[in-house]
Amino acid sequence: MAEAGKGNQINLDALSVQQLSQVKKQFDEEVQHLTNSYQNLRVAQQKFKDCVTSVKEGVASSVQDKTLLVPLTSSLYVPGKLASTSHVLVDIGTGFYVEKTTDDALTFYAAKIEELGKNIKDLENVVNGKANNLRMIEEVLRQKMLVQQQQGQAQQGATAAAA
Amino acid sequence: MEQQKQLQSLSNEYQTLQNDMSTLITARQKLESQQQENKGVQKEFNSLADDANIYKLVGPVLLKQDTTEAKSTVDGRLEYIGGEIKRIEESIKEITDKSETKKMEIMQIQGAMQQQQGAA
Repeated sequence: MAEAGKGNQINLDALSVQQLSQVKKQFDEEVQHLTNSYQNLRVAQQKFKDCVTSVKEGVASSVQDKTLLVPLTSSLYVPGKLASTSHVLVDIGTGFYVEKTTDDALTFYAAKIEELGKNIKDLENVVNGKANNLRMIEEVLRQKMLVQQQQGQAQQGATAAAA
Repeated sequence: MEQQKQLQSLSNEYQTLQNDMSTLITARQKLESQQQENKGVQKEFNSLADDANIYKLVGPVLLKQDTTEAKSTVDGRLEYIGGEIKRIEESIKEITDKSETKKMEIMQIQGAMQQQQGAA
């Protein structure tokens, strides 16, 4: 990562202001996209965590005889009773559902949460690297602009002096 | 003038190629995520007991499915997706080559035009 950064640094100085802005734009978009993905992963992980809580508290034997409200739509509920406190149906993706014991379901969700956690960490590193590169680009771009501005002023001063 | 027209049509073609390219890339990304999801399901199926109950969501209802049947469905899907990815990769390569050639042509014409301008 550090080496790639160094390579970039050398490249950056050779680029014109326009090219730099182009590169900056590209990096901006990349960072934006990655940050969005990061947030999506976070949301997904949170959903699985909610599932764990639901299985633990909503499908325990302590609530076996209590009635609960089942949402048919977001504003219509009907009373119901748990048919089983030992088994749940788990959505494992692409429209498939598997009947699992609550313990198995918890293991399944824990594995998912861990997997996502790993992905989040990896992505975090990538985002940080990109953000660093972006900062570098911005710094070089700022310096170039400054130099350009000074040159422009010097030129103006020269013409003013000549007149 | 002749050259300018040629340049115009060339850059139009180039633009079309670029558009095709981004369509293909989007399709490729979609396939990738489907592949990931199906792989997850396959992994889950493999770790299941043989007598596990599998249901498939069909419209608003869950239908019970045979374990082997469900497994072969997912395997079939993965195979299909793999094939599609290969096909799209080839198309992407083809378009990259094509747009590279177009780019060269455009640069040639631009160079010739600049030379002419310099001579005039």
